[in-house]
Amino acid sequence: MMTGKEKKTSRLEIIFTGFGGQGIILAGRILGKAAVIGDHRESTLVQAYGPEARGGACSAQVTISDRPIHYPYVRRPDVLVCMSQGGFDKFIDQMKEGGALLIDHDLVQPRGFDKRFFSIPSTRIAEELGRKMMANIIMLGFFTAITGAVSVEAARDAVTDSVPKGTEEMNAAAFNRGCDYGLAVLKGLEKKAAGRAGA
Amino acid sequence: MTDFNIILFMCNWGPHAAYQALQDTGASIPDNVKMVRIPCTGRISKALLFKSFEMGANGVALVGCEPGSCRYGTGTANAQGHVEDTRGILELLGLGKDRLQLATFLPDESGSLLEFLKRFSREIEGMGPSPIRPATELIPVAERDRAIEEVVSAHDVYACQDCGKCSSACPLTLAGKPFSPRAIANAVIAGDIDSPSVQKDVWACLTCGLCYDRCPSAVDFSGFIRDLRDILARSGSDRHASHGEFFQSLMRTMTSRDLEVRPWQWLSSDVRTDPGSKTLFFGGCAPYFDIFFKNFLRTRTREILVDSLRLLNFFDVHPALLKEERCCGHDLLWSGDRANFLKLAQLNADAIRDKGVEEIITACPECYSTLRRDYPAHGIDLGCKITHIFDFLEQEIDKGAVGFKGLDRQLTFQDPCRLSRLENRPHLPRRLLNRVAPNSFKEMKDSGISAICCGNSAWTGCDSFSKALQVKRIRQARSTGSDLLITACPKCQIHLRCAMEDPFLGEELNMEVLDLTSLLARAIHWE
Ligand code: SF4
Ligand code: SF4
Ligand code: SF4
Repeated sequence: MMTGKEKKTSRLEIIFTGFGGQGIILAGRILGKAAVIGDHRESTLVQAYGPEARGGACSAQVTISDRPIHYPYVRRPDVLVCMSQGGFDKFIDQMKEGGALLIDHDLVQPRGFDKRFFSIPSTRIAEELGRKMMANIIMLGFFTAITGAVSVEAARDAVTDSVPKGTEEMNAAAFNRGCDYGLAVLKGLEKKAAGRAGA
Repeated sequence: MTDFNIILFMCNWGPHAAYQALQDTGASIPDNVKMVRIPCTGRISKALLFKSFEMGANGVALVGCEPGSCRYGTGTANAQGHVEDTRGILELLGLGKDRLQLATFLPDESGSLLEFLKRFSREIEGMGPSPIRPATELIPVAERDRAIEEVVSAHDVYACQDCGKCSSACPLTLAGKPFSPRAIANAVIAGDIDSPSVQKDVWACLTCGLCYDRCPSAVDFSGFIRDLRDILARSGSDRHASHGEFFQSLMRTMTSRDLEVRPWQWLSSDVRTDPGSKTLFFGGCAPYFDIFFKNFLRTRTREILVDSLRLLNFFDVHPALLKEERCCGHDLLWSGDRANFLKLAQLNADAIRDKGVEEIITACPECYSTLRRDYPAHGIDLGCKITHIFDFLEQEIDKGAVGFKGLDRQLTFQDPCRLSRLENRPHLPRRLLNRVAPNSFKEMKDSGISAICCGNSAWTGCDSFSKALQVKRIRQARSTGSDLLITACPKCQIHLRCAMEDPFLGEELNMEVLDLTSLLARAIHWE
C-alpha cells in the first residue's frame, strides 16, 4: 500500500468517483493541474458522466506520469477515491491489488472490502466549514496527504487557481483541513503500529 | 565568628533542660547557632520553618521531645510531618532538604544534644551559605493617598453608578459575608481607606472577576483590588495570607538569582522532552503544592503536568522544560507584592529569552494569563507565543483521526476564573469536554462566565465565608447528579478538596475530582 511516506512511482492511475454536483471532475482537473503546473510532470484527465449530469454517478480518470502518456483511460486504478456508494460499488473491483482506497466516511460503506482503507468525513467537515460544496477540495487535501501523488504546495496552488474568485481562501482552508486530517490519519497508523495508540 | 547562621527552634520542655545544662557547664555550643525557645515543636508550622530560610538562614533545626514524651501528646508527631513536608519543598527549591533537621532529646541527654549541634553545624558549613537573599523589602508608598487616587482613576472606579449589581453577584456577599464591592469602591473614593472594614475586605475579595462581568460601568474591580493591595501592603496593612503566608514566602525565596531550583527533578523518564525544542512547556507550582498538602489533602496536582506532557507526546511534540523555571508570580502580583512579582517575571524572562523558544505551552490558567497578559503589561517581553494546552489540543484533535474511549461517568465542570472569565474563554474547555463526554456532561447551576469561584485566590483571605461559598459550590456540583468533578486549575482542585474535608458535612460533600488534562490523557487514542 502506498502512503505519502513512500517514493513516487513513475506512473500513477487514479479514479475519483461520486455523484454529479460533488465537484468530482473539478477535483480531477485540479489534481492534473497540480501535477503538470506545480510538479512539472505529465497528466491526463478523462471525465465520464452517468445518465444524468446532476446527481448521477460520475468519475474522473487521472493519470500522472514522468513520461508522456499515450493511453489516458484508467482501467485498473492505483488509487480509488469514492465519494458515493454507487461509485464504490461500480469501481471497487477494478482497483489494483494493493491499491489505495479513500472514501467519504459518511457516504460510503466499503462493503466486502476487507483490506485497509482511508476514510475522512469530508462532507461533514465541509458542512462545518459552512459549504457542503467544498467536500471535494477537502477530499483532495486528504488524497494529497495520504498518497503524496502530488506535492502539497502544487495541489494547494492548483486549488486556489481553479476555484471561483473570492473563494480562494475558503477553499485553501478546506484543502488544509483535508490535508491535516490525512497527516493525522497517517500519524495514527504509525503510532498504532508502534503500539502507542493512547497518551 | 563564622558568617553562616543556624536557627534552632527548641522546645521549652525536654531538650531545653539539656541545652541549659550545656550552658551551665560552659560547653562549646557552636557560635553560629541562634536558639529560639518555643513552647512546642508541633506549633512550628511549615510557614515558620520556611520563613527562616526566606530570611536567609543557612540551616534550621527543630529540636523537641522524644516521641511519647511530648507534654501535649501530638507535638512531636506534628513536627515530624511539618519537617518532612518542608524538607521536600526545600529539595525542589534547590536548597537541599538537609538544611532542615528534626531532632529529639530527653532532658538529660545534653551530651547527645551537643554532639548533634556540632555535627549539624559542620554539615551546614560544608553545604556553604544559602543562595537565598532576603527578598525585596516592600518600599513604602511615598504619597499613599495620591497613589490610591491614581489606582481609582486607572480602573475608572469613579464610573460606578452605585447600582449594586456587583454585590448581588459577588459570591462572598451571597455567602452571607458582610462584604460589598460597591461599598469598598465607595469607601475608597470617599477617602475611607483606613476604616477597619475596608482594610480587611480588600484582602477578602477573591478577585474572581464576576462583579466586573456584571458591572454596567465596566469597573474592573478585581484589577482595582490587585493594585490597591500593593499600595496597602506597602503601607503596612496585614495581608491576611492563608497558611501563615507559606506560599508567598516560597515565591519570594525564588527571587534569589543564585538559587538553582530543581522543579522537574521528580519527573519520570517515560515522558519525552527535548532540551533543544522551540516549544517550551511551563509547568507552574503544582509540584510544590502537592508536597505541602501531601498529608492533609493528598492532592496530586502534578499529575496535570505529567498528563499534559503525555498529551503533547501523543501529538509528537517533545517540548523543552525550563530547568530554571520559577513561579510565574501570579500569587505575589495578586496578593500585594508587585515588586517581587516583577523580580520573578524578570528571572523567568532571562531564563527563557536566550533559548530561542518560539512558543510556551502551559496547562495552568494562572500561568497562562500571567505570562500572556501581566508580563507584557509590566514591560516584560518573553518574545514568544503563549498557548494554553487546551488550545493546542483543540487544534490537534480537530485535525481528525483521534477518538476518545467512552467513560462510564457523569461529569460536571468547575470553571477556572483566570481562563473562563479573565481571558473570557469559557467555551474552550467545553469544546474538549464535549469531545470526550458528549452525552454525560452536565453544567452546574452557575457556569461558564457566571461560575462561582473555587473559594480562594492567591492564598489570601480564606475564612468561614469563603468556606460557605465552597460548600454551596460543591452542592451545586453534586446536584447535577454527576460523580466526577472536572477542574482545569490545580488550585481549584486544592481549594475544593479542602472544603470536602469538612468533618461535619462529611460524605455529603464528597466527590471525585479530576483535571480535564488527565481526563483527556486517559481517554484519547488514535483511531
Ligand atoms: S456593578 Fe459597577 S456600577 Fe454597579 S455598583 Fe458595582 S461597581 Fe458600581
Ligand atoms: S472579584 Fe469576585 S469576590 Fe471580589 S468583589 Fe468581585 S465578585 Fe466579589
Ligand atoms: S480553602 Fe483550604 S487549601 Fe484553600 S486557602 Fe483555604 S485553607 Fe488553604
